Amino acid sequence: MIRFEHVGLRYGIGPEVLEDINFTLDPGSFHFLSGPSGAGKTSLMSLLYLGRMPTRGLVRMFGQNIGELTRDQLAAIRQRIGVVFQDFRLLGHMSAFDNVALPLRIQGRPEKEIRNNVGELLDWVGLGDHKHVLPNTMSGGQQQRVAIARAVITRPRLLLADEPTGNLDDDIGFRLMALFDQLNRMGTTVLIATHNTAIMEKFGHKRLILERGHLRIEDPQQPNKGGHGDLRERLQGVY
Amino acid sequence: MIARLLAKFRKERVLGVAKEKRRYDLPLANSSSNSFLRLLICLLSILGMLALSASFALSAMTERWSQGLANKVSVEIPASDSAGDIIAPRMVRSMTDDAAKILSEHPDVEQAAITEEKEVRTLLAPWLGEDLAMDSIPVPGLISVTFREGSTPNLKKLEAKIREAAPSARIDTHESWLADVLRFTGALQFAAILLGLIIGATTLVAVAAGVKSKLSENKEELELLHLMGASDSYIARQLQRHTLILSFQGGALGVLAGGLLLFVISLIAGEMGVNLIPDFRMADAQKLMLVLMPVPIAVLAMLTARVTVMNVLTRMP
Repeated sequence: MIRFEHVGLRYGIGPEVLEDINFTLDPGSFHFLSGPSGAGKTSLMSLLYLGRMPTRGLVRMFGQNIGELTRDQLAAIRQRIGVVFQDFRLLGHMSAFDNVALPLRIQGRPEKEIRNNVGELLDWVGLGDHKHVLPNTMSGGQQQRVAIARAVITRPRLLLADEPTGNLDDDIGFRLMALFDQLNRMGTTVLIATHNTAIMEKFGHKRLILERGHLRIEDPQQPNKGGHGDLRERLQGVY
Repeated sequence: MIARLLAKFRKERVLGVAKEKRRYDLPLANSSSNSFLRLLICLLSILGMLALSASFALSAMTERWSQGLANKVSVEIPASDSAGDIIAPRMVRSMTDDAAKILSEHPDVEQAAITEEKEVRTLLAPWLGEDLAMDSIPVPGLISVTFREGSTPNLKKLEAKIREAAPSARIDTHESWLADVLRFTGALQFAAILLGLIIGATTLVAVAAGVKSKLSENKEELELLHLMGASDSYIARQLQRHTLILSFQGGALGVLAGGLLLFVISLIAGEMGVNLIPDFRMADAQKLMLVLMPVPIAVLAMLTARVTVMNVLTRMP
């Protein structure tokens, strides 16, 4: 589904911030992306949500080589990706409802469908009575829920989240991870960039670890452990 | 009714609640540059109206002069002979009468009217001065000739025939004078067209700069839309629509202000006795062109916005 082969990225004429990156994200998989500050996590994320193009190597997304796509085709690929940014990046002049509805409007969905789906999702994330509220008057947690709702409203095939638990206490962080896990179980491929080792250990998904622009993959899963039954055990006390 | 108003008042006092329907994904409606662009388009529309009106007036002037002098010539019987000797006024009058008779009998001539000596002296007064004893100066004989519609008289033959009665007579077709005037009005019309082009170019540059400034002002929002999968056309459409509305508003204000200005100018010109183009009235089609001026300006601005946005977006991956 997502495949990086010998991918490199440099800014301008500077040195490569990502060197010879190789990995595959299978459909429906869940990965963490980790590494020290400055290792290139944000750069790798930007390649994944097509905010940048690699300076070398091959990137295949949903079966297509992104280097061969037109601008409109790239836009169509981006519509299949949901992103939760670390700083949420909500549009301040729009209500919570319109922020969440934005990806659907970009896709040209009918207003009736938008009203139903967005209302339902805002209810689901507990913001049903905040539909017309502007983001800058919401708490950090509420803004984050709006950002997550916006990222998942189109049922993306790939969900990327950059430090989604960064500003949250552990309890809310775990609840959020449970939400991502639920989406993953519904078939969405998920990649979470995080520093939070407690969460990574708790959930035990594969880890992409970036160090000085190089990537290695760790699989903490034990052979006799795995699947959602085990996950539910690990989440006891979180729900 | 009162309850509804109070409810509205209470609702609008709640901080952070979206009060109006979302119109754009980018925060364009509250941009500070909107008023500037509207005002600029308004001023450019006024200039455009003035240039176009001037062009219409010049065109009417040229046409009127050309038509006024078409099929017309003047015949002059000089007051002196080829040797420079003064001819007696009585002789001049006699030769003028004979020439007029020859002309009247010509099949191509509709009318041959002698300009009376008093009238000739009045015409000469501004050049010779009021104080001069006008009666002592010999004046030439003048005949205004109007040819029949569609006739093509041979002026050389006609002049030769007139010279049988008045040997030093000559025909003036006004061509050289008219050519100078037409050249002058042509240059003025060219200047008006050039002004129109400069106004158009200024509109292009101003709109492009305004759109670039808006894109730069909303860079993060623009990038976000792009990352959510908004196509270039989707983003461009928003700025196109925004620019179209602003330009149309500015253009409509410009037409109102320009119309008022033209009205004032026509009043002042009337009071000053400017009658170079007497009875000049714009045709309905010309008035319509002036009233509809905001439309091409708005469309031009909209297309400029589109090209600018598309150009800026191509720098994004």
